[in-house]
Amino acid sequence: MKRREFLGGAAGCGCAPALAQNALGRDAFSGAGSKIKITNLKVFGVSLTPDSDRPYVFVKLETDAGVVGWGEGTLEGKAGAVTACVNDFREFVIGSDPMQVEHHWQSMYVHSFYRAGPVMGSAISGIDQALWDIRGKVLGLPVYQLLGGPFDPRGVRGYYHAGARTREELERLRGVAVQQGVSCFKSGIPGYYEWIETHRNIDRAVKAMQLLREGLGPDIDVAIDFHAKTSPAVASILVKEVEPLNLLFVEEPCPPENVKAMARIARRSTTPIATGERLVAAYGCQALIEMGVVDILQTDINHVGGITALWKVGACAEASGISMAPHACEGPIGGIATLHVDAAMPNFLVQEICSGVEPAMKEKVWEEWLGFPAMRMVNGRFPLPAKPGLGFDLSEAALQKYPFGGTRPMARVFHGDGSVAAW
Amino acid sequence: MNARGLRRLRLAPQAAGAAADPGPLAIADLEAFPLREPVSQRTYTAIRCRTRSGLTGWGECADVSPDELARARKIVAGQPATAYGRLRRDLAAIPGMEAAAGMALLDITGKLAKAPLYQVLGGPTRNKVRALARIEATADAVKQARDAGYRACLVPAPSPAARNQGQAYIRAVRAQMEWLRAAAQDCDFVLDGGGALTPGDAASTAAALERFRLLWLEEPCPLANLGTVRKIAAETVTPLGFGRHIHRAGQFQDLLREEIVDILRPSLARNGLAQIRRMAALAETYYVAVAPYHDGGPIATAAALHLAASLPNFYIQQIPLPAAEPDRQMRAAIAGGGVESVKDGFAALLTGPGLGITVQEAALERYKA
Repeated sequence: MKRREFLGGAAGCGCAPALAQNALGRDAFSGAGSKIKITNLKVFGVSLTPDSDRPYVFVKLETDAGVVGWGEGTLEGKAGAVTACVNDFREFVIGSDPMQVEHHWQSMYVHSFYRAGPVMGSAISGIDQALWDIRGKVLGLPVYQLLGGPFDPRGVRGYYHAGARTREELERLRGVAVQQGVSCFKSGIPGYYEWIETHRNIDRAVKAMQLLREGLGPDIDVAIDFHAKTSPAVASILVKEVEPLNLLFVEEPCPPENVKAMARIARRSTTPIATGERLVAAYGCQALIEMGVVDILQTDINHVGGITALWKVGACAEASGISMAPHACEGPIGGIATLHVDAAMPNFLVQEICSGVEPAMKEKVWEEWLGFPAMRMVNGRFPLPAKPGLGFDLSEAALQKYPFGGTRPMARVFHGDGSVAAW
Repeated sequence: MNARGLRRLRLAPQAAGAAADPGPLAIADLEAFPLREPVSQRTYTAIRCRTRSGLTGWGECADVSPDELARARKIVAGQPATAYGRLRRDLAAIPGMEAAAGMALLDITGKLAKAPLYQVLGGPTRNKVRALARIEATADAVKQARDAGYRACLVPAPSPAARNQGQAYIRAVRAQMEWLRAAAQDCDFVLDGGGALTPGDAASTAAALERFRLLWLEEPCPLANLGTVRKIAAETVTPLGFGRHIHRAGQFQDLLREEIVDILRPSLARNGLAQIRRMAALAETYYVAVAPYHDGGPIATAAALHLAASLPNFYIQQIPLPAAEPDRQMRAAIAGGGVESVKDGFAALLTGPGLGITVQEAALERYKA
């Protein structure tokens, strides 16, 4: 065989002219797919405040059947990049059958060649959620039913963030929680951490965690987010020290790239470890699951690859007895989408929302957009939507009050000597 | 609850009384129809599930005892038929019923959605399904499979005369595969060890057949000791398939983690669609495909075709090919003739709602076991 033939056959080198599509291409499914076609893809940058560092990135798919689907691909600090990436996928979806969500997911992921990082993962997430929204509307069922749920018809157990810092504030929060039926809170640890830490800073962190448990009492689940600001050396000390607090979990005790580093922290303590909000696709969780590093996975429906990928992470985790507590700190579309997957996972534990017990400005805007208090718990649970698809209606006009203010970086923090710190 | 809370409750478009009665979609009855093929004597059981509203779904498994059926009925009675994922878990202690009732619930969900099941599950991911026939290693059987449209056959390995046969056994296997290849140049083969070889013979067989390009070597030895089985996988590049007896996804995870398996063979009769989809998700992260094991009846074949068209990492579906005409007639009478027809190596998707078949209850009566 001549070299040229070989390369052609293997779809080989990067310098080759544009590869011919398989002769079948999109028409391959004409007999098997639905008759519906996607006619348009729109992507919206939405800034609740002009200087927001995390403008929402919403995706809308329109079809020739009149049904539309909404999805979210918000990536904090990278709104422009995700918007561009969603548009890069335009040709993947326009003219194709919206019902084939798995096919489109695979095509976006595999045909992008480099596999996915967070920008592409978020773009795929937005499109994937919109496809599921359409699928549910066309099939007449809420997404959680398409996925075989609900496991708990009462709704999805959730947690709020505890903004309280003093014992008095915490005790007051505990009272509100009992009244509202909220069963779990998450908080962070104070300050920024260097590679190795002083006794003063170690003790400060430990005391802050002890105060949380004491203030919230023994009957509320307490989770603590290290936010990957600690090194394995520092995190190992803290995680071990707080074993008597019986935390629900410690989250991201170190950054996620080096699975063995996190494993070393986990191995030295009985405190449950959670991680995953920065991971993309089930592939991104494979080593964590295989090595038995974590007790809880927290992949985010807006980054991991949407409903399709979050469900798969849940299935992989379940085989190893790992629970799911998905991260959600972006807009209401991803928030609602994640509830559908939560309701369909046997190993679901608890759902995050980056809100407090009292709704703030953003929750009011969400209610204005969707007509109901999205991502607010009733008796400690997020109610399940009843309508087909993701279960809400949203008009483009409603978003216009909050125009895209441009991409802003997330917080940049530094240690006293000017070196880069994590927050 | 304060006024604000009440207002929220009213506004939230949650399922009204979500925990209460699921209404017309509640499962009203579950019935089993044991079946036997007249010539092969192969047995399997059709399961019918009906909702209060009269929607009917069909599933299939191996044998079900009256006690297992009674237990399954208790679990599903009054539950919403669409909650196939939750009921799969609740039925997991009755593996056959998990599989069969799970298929029936998915059939109902598809009919409710007026869409083929593969579409409910996110497909199609492919427009036809590669088919595998399990046949005896005879010239007649190969010809029959080829004539029936198959281009891939699973054949049993010769029975070893004793333990640790070494060279003599390898010669026998090689001879068998060589004449099979000569008899059907355009066919590919899976060699089924049936779990009968010693690890040593399995390893040397796998290594000796590398140049033969088997699709894979199936169940070369028992999965008793992963360390032992791992040695086979470590010594050969012949792909290995395992899993027809596996029910827990975690067991597949062990095989994947230990680098033992190249193709997952979960049985449809033990696991059902929802569970195999979970196993497939796991396999995907190891770049491994599934090829569901199937030695039952035509209803499970229909379910398998939908499963195949919903998975990204599917390779081939075993579709039973009875040697005797009366058995083939029985299968066609139950589920319609088109379900198991194979052309140029592939079966066609079923595009009707749910499983896309109309099960003939009169035929179930006629072929009652």
